Amino acid sequence: MNTIHVNINNIEIPTTADKTILDVCREHKIDIPTMCHLKGLSDVGACRLCIVEIEGMNKLQSACTTKVADHMIIQTNTDRIKKYRRITTELFFAERNHVCSVCVANGKCELQNLGYQVEMDHVRYPFLFPQCEVDTSHPWYVMDHNRCIMCTRCVRVCQEVEGAHNWDVMNRGHAVRIISDFNTPWGESTTCTSCGKCLHACPTGAIWPKAIVQGQLEKKPEIIEELIEKRKMHDGF
Amino acid sequence: MDKQTLHINPVTRIEGHARITIELNEQGSVQNATFHVNEFRGFEKFCEGRMYTEMPTITPRICGICPTSHTLASVKACEMIQGIQPTYTAHLLRKLMHIGQNLSSHALSFFHLSAPDLLLGFDSDPIKRNIVGLAEANPDLALKGIRLRKFGQELSERITGKKIHIKGIVPGGMAFPLTEDNRKALLHWIPEALETVNTGLSIIKCFHEEHAEMVQSFATAPTLYMGTVGPDGTHELYDGKLRFVDAEGAILEDQIEPQSYLNYIAERSVNWSYLKYPYYKPLGIEHGIYRVGPLARLNIANRMKTPLAQQEFERFKKINGGKPVHGTFYYHYARLIEALNDIEEAEKILNDPKVTSLHIQHHGQWNYEEGIGSSEAPRGTLFHHYITDETGKLKKINLLIATGQNNPSMNRSILDVAKQYIRSEQLSEGMLNRVEAAIRCYDPCLSCSTHAIGTMPMIIELKNNKGALIQKIERT
Repeated sequence: MNTIHVNINNIEIPTTADKTILDVCREHKIDIPTMCHLKGLSDVGACRLCIVEIEGMNKLQSACTTKVADHMIIQTNTDRIKKYRRITTELFFAERNHVCSVCVANGKCELQNLGYQVEMDHVRYPFLFPQCEVDTSHPWYVMDHNRCIMCTRCVRVCQEVEGAHNWDVMNRGHAVRIISDFNTPWGESTTCTSCGKCLHACPTGAIWPKAIVQGQLEKKPEIIEELIEKRKMHDGF
Repeated sequence: MDKQTLHINPVTRIEGHARITIELNEQGSVQNATFHVNEFRGFEKFCEGRMYTEMPTITPRICGICPTSHTLASVKACEMIQGIQPTYTAHLLRKLMHIGQNLSSHALSFFHLSAPDLLLGFDSDPIKRNIVGLAEANPDLALKGIRLRKFGQELSERITGKKIHIKGIVPGGMAFPLTEDNRKALLHWIPEALETVNTGLSIIKCFHEEHAEMVQSFATAPTLYMGTVGPDGTHELYDGKLRFVDAEGAILEDQIEPQSYLNYIAERSVNWSYLKYPYYKPLGIEHGIYRVGPLARLNIANRMKTPLAQQEFERFKKINGGKPVHGTFYYHYARLIEALNDIEEAEKILNDPKVTSLHIQHHGQWNYEEGIGSSEAPRGTLFHHYITDETGKLKKINLLIATGQNNPSMNRSILDVAKQYIRSEQLSEGMLNRVEAAIRCYDPCLSCSTHAIGTMPMIIELKNNKGALIQKIERT
């Protein structure tokens, strides 16, 4: 593929047109926060954290779903972007019930890390405190909707990598929920293979193994990409 | 003269928030006194619907002073649900952390909250009668108290990496081992900690001698006592069975499994406090008032585990000829004897060759719907009782906290002290401080937070039965 040139944060970078802005930034160690992106899975541009400014466009664009183009001029960390990232992060915390101190993912949570990254010292929006279900019906895992940020990484990993499509999305707006099968308890799912990939893909403490307590959670989101690469190698043979 | 009411609000130098109401009759003498805990926490309710395995993480947040006791009671309840036991090394590490918490809590109670009364005087200037005033008058002692508390907290920090709201105590054992470097570092503290506790013992004994009449008459109403003991009646903090003794020292119940606590303890609610009124069920509400905590543990025990604490325990037992010591002021003495026991036991555990073993956790899963765990918190026996559905989700939670069990006795002690010291015609701040001191003896833990030091205002209002203000004393 032909080489093109983009300008990111005033640095000229040669790349190819099949890549997204996020791909190019990650290749060149330019930091862009993400929540819904997980390497190996399709991108949906849901979390709006990876927004960037592109010269000539009024609207901010999500870096994970926007392909680079020749002579594109991009800014990834302006005051305007920082302001919106902070707002988005605060809304994540205000929408459901995130209590880091007693969460099983405390210290190993991508949402918690994001809070530190955008320097969220308080939340300016009223907390909704919704009454969310804790689905303990699966013999090994728990799905706690209080801690879900609707990144849909679990939905995509289940569909695209495991091929089971146990998880999906129901409703709209603040009533939106991740569901198992046709909204049945997870333990009664006929499609779940109990593989645990959704657990590793989940960025927060929403999906976790029953057997562990705070301090023992080990999530390995990188294994999703490893699995995909290994399958490619297998197909190649 | 009209009937009058005195309010002490808030009660200072305790852990939490409370107020005291003292009612005077037409003659100006104390007629009644009540202790109101005006905080509502709601843990038993908002934990419903959570997984039982989350409780060892959630319940330490009940209290910043005794989180380890809550975690221990909680994991024991979880282990009953799973039907497993921790490993030997995990037992040792849990004991160490529990000792650390007991030590730091006792250090806080004695050196920071109560020592200002003992060393500066009950009638001294309330602006100075706090840890800051103590640090000015006796900086060496204040520092020793702080360092003893530091040692207690290091026992948790060097095992789990956290001083407060510890993590790492998990169903089946521990999540983190103790390293050899940390074991050695903790052992270095032992001589200094022993010296500090001995200093505290000298202070309290000296106070007992100089104020013998006050100490022996300070809130001495007899009660029953309950606590945890080993198989032969030895003083126990971490694991053991329950024992009840009556006011004369006769054993009412012995070697009771903590899981059967509801057969022996009942609770009633009152409309003027969020704190319930537990009582010993077989004797009913009126005669079943019992106390827990350091004084109770020493009153029910046959002996201490360690030699220096045993020597002090024998002196303690002589105070009332081998019978239970009822004087509430002796809580301080009992607390220091326990602190001595803690340090000696910590040294013994740290020298156990298996304390640094990596075999720290057994693994289990949900097997039973009900779990009950208990531990001896610094303030007394603590119970966690969980009932789950068949997936491990909590349906019902009952937490019976030590301070709650002391509530009826605290009310009685306040009344005793108020009757002894309060006279409406000569109301003074020092008198009211003595009423507060009765509460401070129990070292109640009313919330999850440590208390402000001498900065909280105290307002005492004397009103007639029509609500008109007669006199007001203000502490800022």
